[in-house]
Amino acid sequence: MKKLLVSAFALLLSVGILNAQEAKNYPTIPDNISVKSLDGTTVQTSTFHNDGKPFILSFWATWCKPCLRELNTIKEVYEEWQEETGVKIIAVSIDDARAASRVKPMVNGNAWDYEVYIDQNQDLKRAMNVVNVPHTFIINGKGEIVWQHTSFVEGSEEELIELVKKVMNGEDISESK
Amino acid sequence: MKKLLVLLGVFVVTVQVQAQALLGGQVTGNFQIDAQVSKQDSSIGAEDVPQKLLSNVFANLLYTNGGFSAGIRFESYLDPLLGFNSQYKGAGIANKFMSYQNEMIDITAGNFYEQYGSGLIFRSYEDRNLGLDNAMMGVNVKVRPIDGILLKAMVGKQRYYWDYGKGLVRGIDGEFALNSLIKGFEESKTRVTLGAGFVSRYEDDQTILANDEYKLNLPLNVGAGSFRMDLAHGNWGLQAEYAMKSQDPNVLNNYIYKWGDALFVSASYSKKGLGINLQAKRIDNMGFKSERTATGEMLYINYIPAMSKQHTYALMALYPAITQVNGEMGIQADVTYTIKKGTLLGGKYGTTLKLNYSQIMSIDKQALNDSTSIGQKGTDGYTSDFFKVGDELYYQDFNMEISKKLSSKSKLNLTYAYIAFNPVMENEQGDIHYNNVVVADYTYKLNNKNVIRGELQWLKSNIEYFDEDKRSGDWLMALVEWNFTSAFFVSVSDQYNYNGSKNHYYNVSVGYTHNTTRFQLGYGKQRKGLLCIGGVCREVPASNGLTFSLTSSF
Repeated sequence: MKKLLVSAFALLLSVGILNAQEAKNYPTIPDNISVKSLDGTTVQTSTFHNDGKPFILSFWATWCKPCLRELNTIKEVYEEWQEETGVKIIAVSIDDARAASRVKPMVNGNAWDYEVYIDQNQDLKRAMNVVNVPHTFIINGKGEIVWQHTSFVEGSEEELIELVKKVMNGEDISESK
Repeated sequence: MKKLLVLLGVFVVTVQVQAQALLGGQVTGNFQIDAQVSKQDSSIGAEDVPQKLLSNVFANLLYTNGGFSAGIRFESYLDPLLGFNSQYKGAGIANKFMSYQNEMIDITAGNFYEQYGSGLIFRSYEDRNLGLDNAMMGVNVKVRPIDGILLKAMVGKQRYYWDYGKGLVRGIDGEFALNSLIKGFEESKTRVTLGAGFVSRYEDDQTILANDEYKLNLPLNVGAGSFRMDLAHGNWGLQAEYAMKSQDPNVLNNYIYKWGDALFVSASYSKKGLGINLQAKRIDNMGFKSERTATGEMLYINYIPAMSKQHTYALMALYPAITQVNGEMGIQADVTYTIKKGTLLGGKYGTTLKLNYSQIMSIDKQALNDSTSIGQKGTDGYTSDFFKVGDELYYQDFNMEISKKLSSKSKLNLTYAYIAFNPVMENEQGDIHYNNVVVADYTYKLNNKNVIRGELQWLKSNIEYFDEDKRSGDWLMALVEWNFTSAFFVSVSDQYNYNGSKNHYYNVSVGYTHNTTRFQLGYGKQRKGLLCIGGVCREVPASNGLTFSLTSSF
């Protein structure tokens, strides 16, 4: 029985992989989920775009140290990135009522130039299958999720921008680490 | 366990292949597996685990096709990890939903999570690490009839482990963005959003005795309403919400008939490099559950977070603030300031300073008359002067943090906190603990791929060690972590209760991340204590052994 299951699993897995390779249909970011901008306005995720260029979508929270390290590290190179590639960062905070009103002062206090939203009910977090923060996505010009990653350490921002450049050149990065 | 995983794998892949091949649309999902092996260790109070291996598993599958989506969540607790309620024991489909959404309407049938305003009257949410899930089972509708108006309505019951609470929960909410609704106000620098909500709970009558002679006359329907506003004008912001709850005698408030209320106000000013936030809140008798007799963290209809900074360094989080739903008054001030680079204090890279202060006190409570004690069962409980602060200090925290990039390779973070903690928040007796905590956190980048990080933490307490709590006394902690890109890490740490139990809590862990798949293995001792997120806490027993964790999303 166990053997049978394992082989069935292997078979299905290979079918799954074959299927994925043939189709290569990336999931897209959800359309109609509401998040709040920092001035309290409700914004639909259908407005998440970067004029046909890729953008980075990063989930974070005020209490998440690696998230703050990621956003602070990128801050130092963000201007350079934008000049070089035109990439944009959308940072989505999953803070609840305890810290949601501290998000805007924190964003400004840290001098971040990102587009920031608050996903207080975590609708977007659930729809995008985010388990832990930081969780970072690269979205291509068509709104497709071409790459995603959890966790951050200093230095991984360089990998991130290299991947964005590849996406701009139309390369497939789904197998990249 | 192994069989289960194989089955799970087969299921996930089958559904994915079938759905994509036959129906179009997309299947995404995530899963999380946590397993634990713990052995007896009387020095730290870790008890024997007869099952040897404990595990919690979550798997979410989400199917979307245009505006349609459907999802299920499989959960298994065989048996639940230490610290999780034993009523979780079991396996099965815990959550399921179908929903349809377009620009105007959003309707969900099945399990859903929702929140009105800041959650003072209603918030259904989950926190896996706390073992908390009060998902609604019912119907949730959101309508946007015109730009600037969002109306919500819902009905359902709350999840209670593998069952549902007895109370029926119904609610409506409206949110109005005045800038979209008033002509000529669209482009104004002032943004105004107003909102109001109402939630009611119905529960069948039951027999609860006030004393030997009288049975309480229980209200079957309990209502809670709130008004809120969100103002923003350039660099300034003001948010406020006020909520009231009708007579709700329940086990949390000792069956008193007083109305409850809550006020939350937050003001902020921020510009590039400077952020200031001031908050105040007052909570009076606002424990709102979908069952009168329910205790513990489940079945809360509303959500009242602690008004203090959520610390993440281990020793700073040793004494956390815990929300007192029966009454508390709190203030918090928070400042973030970045000193520009190129200045004397800013140095080559700039320096970021953070200051935070919070204080939480009891509320004023006066007896109704000479013959009734405060909070006496079956009475109106007490009277309270809204603006008068109570005499008892629950929690106080002053903390400051300096973050500085020292060179292109190194960063230093210094944090100091002074924390006063009243054990009454945990329903324990004893003197207030006054702690001084210092943390140094240093990161060094050897090259583009190798990063070393170290932490030193010191906690000095005024309280002499007493045996049963395994927490009092003074602590030292050291941690070293090596990262090879974001793919691999090893960390070694020890928490030492040097002036107290003399216990060492050492830990070794390794982790590997590939895209969204993260695998972590740890070995060591876990102190008994509270795991708190957002003022909601769970008691975690001591353990000594192996932990294994695997998360992935696709």
